[in-house]
Amino acid sequence: MRSAPSIRRPTCVLSMLLVTSPVVAQNQLKIVSSLPRTGSANAQTTTMVNGIRMAIDEVGGKVDGFEILYEDMDDASPQRGNWDPAVEGQNANKAAKDPLVVGYIGTFNSGAAKIAMPILNRAGCVMISPANTYPGLTKPGFGEKNEPKVYRPSGKVNYFRVVPTDDLQGVVAADWAKELGATKAFVLHDRELYGKGIADVFEKRAKEIGLAIVEVEGIDPKAANYRSLVTKIKATGADFVYFGGTTQNNAGQIAKDLRSGGVVAPLMVPDGCFEDAFIEAAGAANLNGKTYVTFGGLPADQLTGKGQVFRENYRAKYGTDPEAYAVYGYEAARVLLDAIDRAEAKDRASILAAVAATRDFQGALGTWSFDENGDTTNRTMSGQAVIDGKFVFQKVLGR
Amino acid sequence: MEFTSAEVFAQQVLNGLSNGMIIALIALGYTMVYGIIELINWAHGDLFMLGGFLALTILGALGLEEASGPMAVVAVLVILAASAGFCGTLNVLADRIAYRPLRRAPKVSLLVTAIGVSFIFVNLGLFWGGVPMEVFSGGIAAAAPKDFPALVPSRNLLGTDDGVGFTLRDLLVVVVTLPLMLGLWWLVARTRLGKAMRATAQNPTAARLMGIDVDRVIGSTFFLGGALAGFASVVYALYNNTIGFQMGYRAGMDAFTAAVLGGIGSLPGAVLGGLLIGLIRAMSDQYLEARWTNALVFAILILILVFRPSGLLGMKQREKV
Amino acid sequence: MRRAPLLIAMLAAALAWPIAEQFLPGSWSVLDAVKSIFIFAILGLALNAVTGFAGILNLGIAAFMAIGAYAFAILTNDLYPFQIGFWPAILLTLPIGALAGFLLGAPTLGLRGDYLAIVTLGFGEIVQDVLKNLDSITLGTQGINPLPAPVVPWWKPGEDGQGGGLGLVDLAEETQGAGPLLSYYLFLAFVVVAWLVFRNLERSRVGRAWMSLRSDELASRSMGIPPVRTKMLAFATAAAFAAFAGGLWASWLSSTGEPANYDFQISILALCIVIVGGMGSIAGVLVGALVMIGVNSIVLVKLFEWLQSKGLGASGSVFVSPNSWKYLLFGLALVLMMRFKPDGLVPASGRGERKPSGGRS
Repeated sequence: MRSAPSIRRPTCVLSMLLVTSPVVAQNQLKIVSSLPRTGSANAQTTTMVNGIRMAIDEVGGKVDGFEILYEDMDDASPQRGNWDPAVEGQNANKAAKDPLVVGYIGTFNSGAAKIAMPILNRAGCVMISPANTYPGLTKPGFGEKNEPKVYRPSGKVNYFRVVPTDDLQGVVAADWAKELGATKAFVLHDRELYGKGIADVFEKRAKEIGLAIVEVEGIDPKAANYRSLVTKIKATGADFVYFGGTTQNNAGQIAKDLRSGGVVAPLMVPDGCFEDAFIEAAGAANLNGKTYVTFGGLPADQLTGKGQVFRENYRAKYGTDPEAYAVYGYEAARVLLDAIDRAEAKDRASILAAVAATRDFQGALGTWSFDENGDTTNRTMSGQAVIDGKFVFQKVLGR
Repeated sequence: MEFTSAEVFAQQVLNGLSNGMIIALIALGYTMVYGIIELINWAHGDLFMLGGFLALTILGALGLEEASGPMAVVAVLVILAASAGFCGTLNVLADRIAYRPLRRAPKVSLLVTAIGVSFIFVNLGLFWGGVPMEVFSGGIAAAAPKDFPALVPSRNLLGTDDGVGFTLRDLLVVVVTLPLMLGLWWLVARTRLGKAMRATAQNPTAARLMGIDVDRVIGSTFFLGGALAGFASVVYALYNNTIGFQMGYRAGMDAFTAAVLGGIGSLPGAVLGGLLIGLIRAMSDQYLEARWTNALVFAILILILVFRPSGLLGMKQREKV
Repeated sequence: MRRAPLLIAMLAAALAWPIAEQFLPGSWSVLDAVKSIFIFAILGLALNAVTGFAGILNLGIAAFMAIGAYAFAILTNDLYPFQIGFWPAILLTLPIGALAGFLLGAPTLGLRGDYLAIVTLGFGEIVQDVLKNLDSITLGTQGINPLPAPVVPWWKPGEDGQGGGLGLVDLAEETQGAGPLLSYYLFLAFVVVAWLVFRNLERSRVGRAWMSLRSDELASRSMGIPPVRTKMLAFATAAAFAAFAGGLWASWLSSTGEPANYDFQISILALCIVIVGGMGSIAGVLVGALVMIGVNSIVLVKLFEWLQSKGLGASGSVFVSPNSWKYLLFGLALVLMMRFKPDGLVPASGRGERKPSGGRS
């Protein structure tokens, strides 16, 4: 952190009060995660937190002689039932002020990242997201014209992510849709940052490759059903349906209503639906054989080496197969722990430098590096279909 | 596309009416309680949600998820009765424990209590989804939406796959909802209890002076309103095949809107309001854009209230003193 | 009533807290949570004017907060042509909010009680959808960021650490040193200003007209108080200050967040602050904000932190994870507070007496 020798009265009086922070225990470092733990996203974030805890337990809660503390912070509030910007801001500020904290795993929602990023950036604290896919957070030219520099007030990159972004996934989704024989696609999205973002990319790519888009509709994620929309889809004669959105935003209901409304066109969804909860919510019979899911990475059962070990350990520890999100949480924690180990001084600056220098990391998601924007170089995308109530790996996409 | 524009319109009317009838059923319970103690029962939607969880639990416990034919009919009847009884009882309990001590308190304090009860119900729903049962997928993902068995198939009763679809499920909505509405109308208009309810709604003090046990009448109203929510939850679950712990929010909002649109406290008004909302939603999804549907519903509501300040079928306002 | 000492004690505590915090462990720092209490206190004061003073149930106060936040954002963010800076923008949120309140109120304020309540609720939903759908203007679900923090005159160090003098300090840059304290005290000052405004309104002719309308519309009408115009004033004032709170909120987060952040739940939270505190009581609203937001962002957070440090919630089951108990605790708190304090924690004077039985008031 920057030292501040130039402070003069009367600021000085106040800052003297500030720097008398209490003595911290030696040889302890703290990792926090900030994910929505109250409300509808709880299902996915629980698997992520499981992954994080597992990564810490695997190193015995100690790295290079330093005890690793972990705190699972909630960025949701009961009134919102979802991520709450005020709580995310508080979490980030709290972490920034806590001298023990050397890494911040989060956020789940890209909107929340927009709030936490500048705060942690000023504090020089590493932030690794296991879930944000909005491209503008890291990539110039993909979001608004002031992005991503608005998230980096210090000018340094402190934000990293282990998931490939929507601009990659939306493209491979459209390519795959065409390959599957789609000629006229109907695009739905949940009107949220993630869902709309990926649907926009899908739409743009589809037009480039000659896949006609008959209509784009933003749904009401809280609606009881989508029968009227399904009637509309049926009337257009679309032969393919793409939904940009998540399980919580009613992907299951859309699948159900498509089938019960007599639409036979296949449905494709992004990785926000790549979880067993999607199949359970939709009912396997409504998905089997006509539902495709894209995912940024390889599914657990296709992983080799470390990924396979991860899967077995996870099952031993938690009694279930890991969901897609668990790997992201695990990987984010692993890469952070690895950087802490490599850092010479165990302070924020050295650990940040070590994370940024991550190259050819042997992780559960394969071997990958962080690029200069903080994005993972892992661009392996996979496509799965739902067969007999299970996600079945179909092929590697986008290579 | 064999689907002609006339067929599309007919189909959307059907979609709208089916959804509207379910909304109406929830709105009835809402408006009854409002009529009698002027409580905007914010927990009503979440009570409805718990009814859905009970129904799913019963199906799981009795192994009736896959029931078909006559067994399915039995299963539907069982969960209808159970959810209605459960929600009715729970509503009465909520009244006894939370609302009754506040009868003399300001109306808004009662509203805040109802909001509190609603949060408690939501949490119970979240926990319920975490119960390790097969129907809740072992309870691993408590917060995730739950699949509700398709006991009533979506078979088209009009024959073909291509034309307008009036399915067995749409029929179910009509078969359950219409008799309930008629029965409720009969109960309120023709029975002694109904008379006592109307008297209490009009003037509780006078009703008490006339020898009506006001607390019992209020209790019965809560039971009936809750039971309607229970029935509605089963119809909803069988129609949509999904339940989730947060589904009460939208259901409650729709029901509140329907009740106000029709004229708060008016039973036919609640039905009319529900049907209108269903139709507006369907038409907006088809002919406008789905993303504007919700805003349109409320814009129409505000417009109607500007021109009919007591709702469509609401009584002229009694001047309060 | 003992409200003056209570207010003075609260103000003293708010003034002293940042100093006291220096002697507590770093993880005890709650300055940010307290700022959120300040913003909700202003929102609560605004809602109290319309619901507490004038007796109009408003279930859509969050809509005006959203309007204020987005107005502030559009007036300041560098993607838009205005870029007028913190102070002009935050002051403009007041007339903009009032205008929005006027536009909604003009056709609807003749409606009675709960019909008007659902109009406000519906307006809240419409505003959210409009903000979400008009993405060419509002960036839709993206949220507009970054947004400026206040710029205040303060002692500025010289170029090379020498000299220095009074200058304009951008609190966004000042995340160390005196920055956090300056912005804390500035927010506190906003609360004090809002408190003074509403206290004077309460005691003015207008305030008395509001309260007279609340207790008996018929009688006040016959005494020459024009009901719709008087209600309009309350409605627009509330909208103006809610918009102001929205602008502050956006500045504090440096982002508008997404439109869904201003949903019905925020309106409900504001309503709970007013009712739990004591409807129509300014001191009550401040206590309400302290209790509701304090319980939620400080007490529950610390409690769960402590439970976690004891190893609870590590297994991932919904029943043992402290976070999954939040709704229940929040709901229970509301029910219990209303059960034992139905007129609020600090009831307004003259509202202590109970209405006759039967619920019809």
